[in-house]
Amino acid sequence: MRIRGIGIGLIAAGIAVLSAPIAAQAQDTPQPKTLRVAVTGNIATMNPFMAFHLGDTEIGRVMYAFLTSYSRDDFSPAPGLADKWQVSDDKLTWTYHIRSGAKWSDDQPITARDVAWTFNKIMTDKTAATANGNFVANFDTVTATDDSTVVIKTKTPQATMLALDVPIVPEHVWSKVTDIGKYDNLQYPVVGSGPFTLTNFTQGQSITLKANPDYYGDKPAYDQLQFRHYDNADAAVQGLKNGDVDVVSGLTPTQYTALQSTPNITTVKARQGRQNDLLINYQAQTNDHQPVGDANPVLKDPKVRQAIAQSVDVKTLVDKAYGGLAEPGAGFVPAVYEQWHWTPSGTQEQKFDLAAAGKLLDEAGYAKGADGVRADKQGKPINLRLVVDSGIPAQVAAANFIKGWLTQVGLGVTLQALSSDAVTDAGSTGKYDLELNGWTGNPDPDALLSIQTCGVLPDADGNGNTENFMCDPQIDQLYKAQLSEMDKAKRIQDVKDLQARLYSLDSSVVIAYPNSLEAYRSDRWASFGLQPSQGGSITHQNGYYGYLLAKPADAASSGGGSNTTLIVVIVVVVVVLLGGGAFLLSRRRKAGADERE
Amino acid sequence: MTASISWQRRRAAAGRVWAQFSADRSGLTGLAILGVIVLLALLAPLISDSSALDVTKATGGLLKPPGGGFLLGTDENGRSVLQLLLWGSRISLLVGLTATLLSVGVGTVVGVLMAHFGGWVQAVLMRVTDFFLVLPSLVLAAVLSTVLSPGIGSIILAIGATAWPTTARLVRSQTLAVESRPYIERSWALGAGHLHVIGKHVLPAVLPLVFANTTLNVANSIITESTLSFLGVGDPNQPSWGQMLHNALQSGAVTAQAWWYLLPPGVAIGVVVLAFMMCGRALEAVLNPRLRER
Amino acid sequence: MTSPATAPALAEPSTSARRSGGARYVLGKVGGAVVSLFVVMVLGFFLFRVLPGDPIRLLTRNTSLGAAQVAELRHRYGLDLPLPAQFLDYMSKLLHGDMGDSLKFQQPVADLILQRLWPTVLLVGVATLLSILLGLWQGTRAGWRRGSGFDRFSTGFALTLWSAPTFWLGMILLALGGSLFPTQGILDPDTPASFLPQVADVLHHLVLPCLTLVAVLYAQYLLVMRSSLLEEMNADYLTTARAKGLRDDLVRSRHAVPNALLPTVTLIFIQLGFVVGGAVTVETVYSWPGLGLLLYQAITDHDGPLLQGLLLVLAGAVLVMNLIGDLLLRVIDPRVRAA
Repeated sequence: MRIRGIGIGLIAAGIAVLSAPIAAQAQDTPQPKTLRVAVTGNIATMNPFMAFHLGDTEIGRVMYAFLTSYSRDDFSPAPGLADKWQVSDDKLTWTYHIRSGAKWSDDQPITARDVAWTFNKIMTDKTAATANGNFVANFDTVTATDDSTVVIKTKTPQATMLALDVPIVPEHVWSKVTDIGKYDNLQYPVVGSGPFTLTNFTQGQSITLKANPDYYGDKPAYDQLQFRHYDNADAAVQGLKNGDVDVVSGLTPTQYTALQSTPNITTVKARQGRQNDLLINYQAQTNDHQPVGDANPVLKDPKVRQAIAQSVDVKTLVDKAYGGLAEPGAGFVPAVYEQWHWTPSGTQEQKFDLAAAGKLLDEAGYAKGADGVRADKQGKPINLRLVVDSGIPAQVAAANFIKGWLTQVGLGVTLQALSSDAVTDAGSTGKYDLELNGWTGNPDPDALLSIQTCGVLPDADGNGNTENFMCDPQIDQLYKAQLSEMDKAKRIQDVKDLQARLYSLDSSVVIAYPNSLEAYRSDRWASFGLQPSQGGSITHQNGYYGYLLAKPADAASSGGGSNTTLIVVIVVVVVVLLGGGAFLLSRRRKAGADERE
Repeated sequence: MTASISWQRRRAAAGRVWAQFSADRSGLTGLAILGVIVLLALLAPLISDSSALDVTKATGGLLKPPGGGFLLGTDENGRSVLQLLLWGSRISLLVGLTATLLSVGVGTVVGVLMAHFGGWVQAVLMRVTDFFLVLPSLVLAAVLSTVLSPGIGSIILAIGATAWPTTARLVRSQTLAVESRPYIERSWALGAGHLHVIGKHVLPAVLPLVFANTTLNVANSIITESTLSFLGVGDPNQPSWGQMLHNALQSGAVTAQAWWYLLPPGVAIGVVVLAFMMCGRALEAVLNPRLRER
Repeated sequence: MTSPATAPALAEPSTSARRSGGARYVLGKVGGAVVSLFVVMVLGFFLFRVLPGDPIRLLTRNTSLGAAQVAELRHRYGLDLPLPAQFLDYMSKLLHGDMGDSLKFQQPVADLILQRLWPTVLLVGVATLLSILLGLWQGTRAGWRRGSGFDRFSTGFALTLWSAPTFWLGMILLALGGSLFPTQGILDPDTPASFLPQVADVLHHLVLPCLTLVAVLYAQYLLVMRSSLLEEMNADYLTTARAKGLRDDLVRSRHAVPNALLPTVTLIFIQLGFVVGGAVTVETVYSWPGLGLLLYQAITDHDGPLLQGLLLVLAGAVLVMNLIGDLLLRVIDPRVRAA
């Protein structure tokens, strides 16, 4: 009896609680218009000095302006905090003019001193250098000669001075911070200079930013930008369908295809600065040129590497493994960066030709055994390990295709699909023969090219950013030349020559530039500022145009969706409770009847 | 002479167990289901060609619903889901059985040692058992399978190494019960050694229950394997059911509502686990008088 | 996860309880728990060290960090020290209540765990409560009318749900119920900040993950309740009670059930400790910001300090729950005390 009474009380309370939101919603003032973006990676920190993961830097971009930016059309350098700049004749002194009238979100003026303070902090404080230290490595001095002029002197000429991806922070806030490494930068609203201001960060759940009225550039056509954290990509897509989020990125080909036929949802197939390549390990070494790793020595033979390169059909890979959602690979710099991208000419190209590859191997003296597998010079059957990240379906599929082709030309392949950390580990210690890898490039090719130079070979502990232990005098010389070349046309030629040299060495075979697959709610959002403006993406830009220039659709209510589902839920809950109650009552009556007997 | 008598007795006992077991309908059903699945798994190379697993030779469209020669549709690479399911049964059963053998073996040895020797042996082993019991076994298995070199062996080892404490506890309490019986004391008095007591008296009495426990453990191991695959620490080269689900989820089959790809591996795992559970419960009811339903 | 059938074996009180007196018994149990916790502390440290790959290198892969910055990071987390020094540092910090900083999140591990604690407690708590209620209710009915249609149906249904992998059940529920319920997190950031809407929104988010967990969990309680009720059923006191002319309902609710509950209580506490570990997959499927999810991230990111801290907290939870279960059993079951 008593228990039943409590139960009924609980049911009544439940109904009251669940129906409350309707009442609350009804009294609400109009909801702020919000763009909700699903993020699947972990966002670790809002501290721009410490943020080096992709997701973290993307938030940093909308919170803080950089000295210069990348144009929406073609990634060419565009004004940021600096509206004008010039370089001295000796190419060592850069003078930036800071735009006047720009203000921090707390109404303080943005001056050259903030810029100088930020760079000097990174140059003098090891902890502050965590995320962006490599941008200032070649800086000699940074000084603010007046409120609107910053002068940067570099040790050697540096062609990337318009690609300094360093968030500029307000000196009046950050000079009071004693330990940069421990500062969480969550004093809301966080003082910034970007198009949005951080108002809430709940670790592992959501990040909310509001439009910054003091931003010097375009004003967003809505009030709030919100990132919601999903650990599960399918849950994110479900959230898009429900209307919990407006934009989802990083779709798999399957999800992309499925969403194409979903009403109110528009899919975006975007070019992005990413490339996937097949590494051929033939010179694993440390920075003092000690060999490391356990690669098959047969790969030292350029003919073998060429045969491997000729056995990879990038067009089939794009069609089958990437489901057509990629561009076939050629030069090392992704195709989206058109001016830097290189494609082999007819004479340079190592065309897909299994017969030619087989002939090459025959001529080089690798005879096929009875089982169709070629033997190396010691008579041992050649077996190559192909390492691939098991978490990237397209790469696993690609690896299977590559294995098939190589087997056909008589090279034995063992597929090693490993967790991403095991792949990273194998890669940095040289313990692989072949490996599928991927890199994301910046609009300026310098960072991407640097991973092919001797300077980033790992030390004995494995610290070093090398891609495939590349160390070639000609590449190093071309790399140095492009870095100090201020004439753009000449620099482009250097960059292309470098890629051609890399291609001819067959150190790696670029297989594809995968597209970035995104989808958004077209009933709520009419358009986004894509970058590049033709065929570009909404998220993960080298800018913030995707969010900044998002245009809401006319009639749509961006707060909708969840309310109707809530009502449905309440109806369901009430029905279930009533049904359960009726059941209990009927049983009680029966029990009562028993007792009377 | 005595050996043959005891053998006869044991055979008779086994006969009684079977008679009781076969009276349990759910146990029999479980056994029948298992028989069919094991048979299919063993015959897979005869029924199908292992090239069905090779993506370069896949003939179907990508993620197509059932039809056109594919009874259960195709996966995201155009392979037949039915074929994958068939080949997957081999790996899933292999992992389940070997991991269980490992864990039950270790568990039995530790359990018997603890109960038989008592004293500091028990104190130390009990601490170790407790340590494994208090750590979430799934987490430990996940960490272990990352530590070991990748492969199906590591998965088996990781599951086996984390699943034994329950068996150890069970065996320990059973051994204690057996050793407190008078005939063991008589045996001691007659000058029997440790080996004799353990080998001739304790193990024969404890093993039947261990066997029932084993069938239940297989169920657990198969689920753990699939969970490890889901968490991304499985062996991607082996097309187990768990790995199929992992691939399905990775490729976004939920969004595509590819029920023909999502449901079969999960249902297969469920059916096998349930069948093992049914057998195990029936066996346990027969062998453990305490649970025997009066 | 413990199989429903082996769970009773775990629930058996250890024999030492029978040999010693009350205070000594409690002290012994607490002492054992402390030793176990210490072992977890030590092994947690080495478990992380044997993970393949350099955590800092993993953390900084595919970023534009230079070698100098990577070395600085390694230095900041003390990973450039020799192993014994790292161990001493870790232990001495731990004794002062400092679990170190997470490599990935760059904030104190203790803060992270505290943030994620209550969502897990909520999810696991509600799910356990519901599965206990459901399991005990169905177990009692099934056991009381053994062999009836209800018994066979409810037991079979529960076992079938238990047999399905948790994450798979979660994904299926996500696909089925994803249009009615939120699929991410615990609270919509746009919910008005007042109390009632917030509670309602949390409950709304709780539905799917909780349902998944209940579906998998309740079979164990059902089976234990059922089998312990079966054991009680033919006891003499029940025959006496019936002979007194008590109605069947009353015999069940006043006599059989209270006694049959005893083994179940221990199981409940033992299970409670494990549920958190078992919630890993559910939290991952529904992006529920709890400890299970954090644990999963710590493993994938090789975030050693975080992993150590979490193992310690989870093992601690299991130990405390076991301790409570043991002590409670002693208090409520006179047989254990007397023996």
